Amino acid sequence: MPNATSASTQNGRRLVQGNAACAHAAVAAGCRFFAGYPITPSSEIAERLSGELPKAGGVFVQMEDEIASMGAVLGASLGGVKAMTATSGPGFSLKQEHIGYAGMAEIPCVVVNVMRGGPSTGLPTRPSQADVMQARWGTHGDHPIIVLTPASVQEIYEQTVRAFNLAEACRVPVVVLYDEVVGHLLETVTLPAPGTVALTARKAPPPNEAAFVPFADTPDGVPPMARFGDGNRIHTTGLVHGEDGFPTQAPEVIDRVMRRVLNKLDHHVELIESYETHAVDDAELVVVAYGITARAARRAVRLARDRGIKAGLFRPVTLWPFPERPLRDLAAHAKAILVPEMNAGQLCLEVERLCAAYGSVERLNRIDGEPIAPAAILQRLEQMG
Amino acid sequence: MDSYEIRLCGTGGQGLILAGRILADAVVREGRWVAQSQAFEPLSRGGVSQADLVISSSMVDFPLVSDLDFLLVLDELAVAGTHELLTPASSILLDSERVATDVLDACRPIRLPLVETARTLGNLRAANMVALGALVALTDVCQRDSLEAAMLRVSPKGFQQINQRAIEVGCGLGAESKQPA
Repeated sequence: MPNATSASTQNGRRLVQGNAACAHAAVAAGCRFFAGYPITPSSEIAERLSGELPKAGGVFVQMEDEIASMGAVLGASLGGVKAMTATSGPGFSLKQEHIGYAGMAEIPCVVVNVMRGGPSTGLPTRPSQADVMQARWGTHGDHPIIVLTPASVQEIYEQTVRAFNLAEACRVPVVVLYDEVVGHLLETVTLPAPGTVALTARKAPPPNEAAFVPFADTPDGVPPMARFGDGNRIHTTGLVHGEDGFPTQAPEVIDRVMRRVLNKLDHHVELIESYETHAVDDAELVVVAYGITARAARRAVRLARDRGIKAGLFRPVTLWPFPERPLRDLAAHAKAILVPEMNAGQLCLEVERLCAAYGSVERLNRIDGEPIAPAAILQRLEQMG
Repeated sequence: MDSYEIRLCGTGGQGLILAGRILADAVVREGRWVAQSQAFEPLSRGGVSQADLVISSSMVDFPLVSDLDFLLVLDELAVAGTHELLTPASSILLDSERVATDVLDACRPIRLPLVETARTLGNLRAANMVALGALVALTDVCQRDSLEAAMLRVSPKGFQQINQRAIEVGCGLGAESKQPA
């Protein structure tokens, strides 16, 4: 795709491709290191950053594979640099080993996954939403992770910036998860002026502090992170470690440290949780949808309302941790919930867990490499209504 | 609905996604909102390729096409995927050489020698720009000036001269076919 971003028009609006918006947002968010291996439909992110990062004083590396890419991202982040990678399903699988390392060693990083059809090589150029569960549970063991799921080009920009801020604030890997449709979509957007984006700085200990305990608990569950080379004594390992950073097998230490690591996001719910609702105040039928499917659902809800059907939309923007309370509150007043997804049924499992006690949860799944059309959702709403 | 939906389709290598990108850029410069999507196959050349545009006077809610106002087909291979998007009001432009099928004839398509014109101009790959020129003459999507300016911004330097000529000739073809019989 030549020149996937146009120059700004007089009214400040520009035509920008989703993946290009992601790359621009990363630079605006302070990302100065990218390591990756190109893969459709994410390659434009790497392509664009290969030009933009050096201009911003950053580093772009095309690595030998996805495993090494993720390792390089963690190394850069430990050195104090905001770092990211971008990939699609098959590459995301390979990165999981080191995403787990980031969870255990509490290394901030951003991983973009532009979803294509799978499994395996699958449908390289066609969209899906089939990595919802891999994004949450792809790596082994209990681990904290944040997953954000934009639905438009404008939102890819906003959520990519937010991903870096959340990664730094919470010391966790953050996944920006979107489907091929919005990744390759060109849309009219208004992007913030350079230098006006609000950034979160990493909490750091004073340099050369002899008494620094690198993984000590703090009121918000997130220990300050020392940068390699600043003089603090630190040890980084994927092994379960005590507050001092060294491996331990003492059950009481393991329990204490792992509970802090697993529960730290609970201290930051207001920062992390995000969702959008549309026409839900009196909604009897609530559609729960994300990504491009949420935009089809929004139109379907509008058309349903025109036909006298009391439908509404709940769109999680933060997919994991899932915004549980807001959806439960809606479900308590609804007759039924519909979950359309471009997969064989993934987020519906979470919705069923949260809402089954209140009414029926129905699925609408498409797995043929084509997006779900508003008409298909409208038809189901008419049947349910 | 105040939106206008366009599909440009054919086979990989015909420059249809680039054409969609150029048309979208022209429309945005005229102050409207655009969502431009595409589909292609994992092949370096060939396979169905398409670029879709949804144009609106305000922010586009659902960015994919559902009822086409205008369909361009540069290769017969791409016809099959278009039927369910056509309405009685859809305008259709077919390449007279590469689209022989009569399955769209009920929709009264216009047939123009887009590929043949590009060949005469000296480069088969300019058929996409001949088509854009014809599209602009046949519709009110954007001004020809805006299209040419967008082409100069977006298309590779080595192609700008022939693309300019292709748009000009395409405009002429479109304008002629618009004349009442």
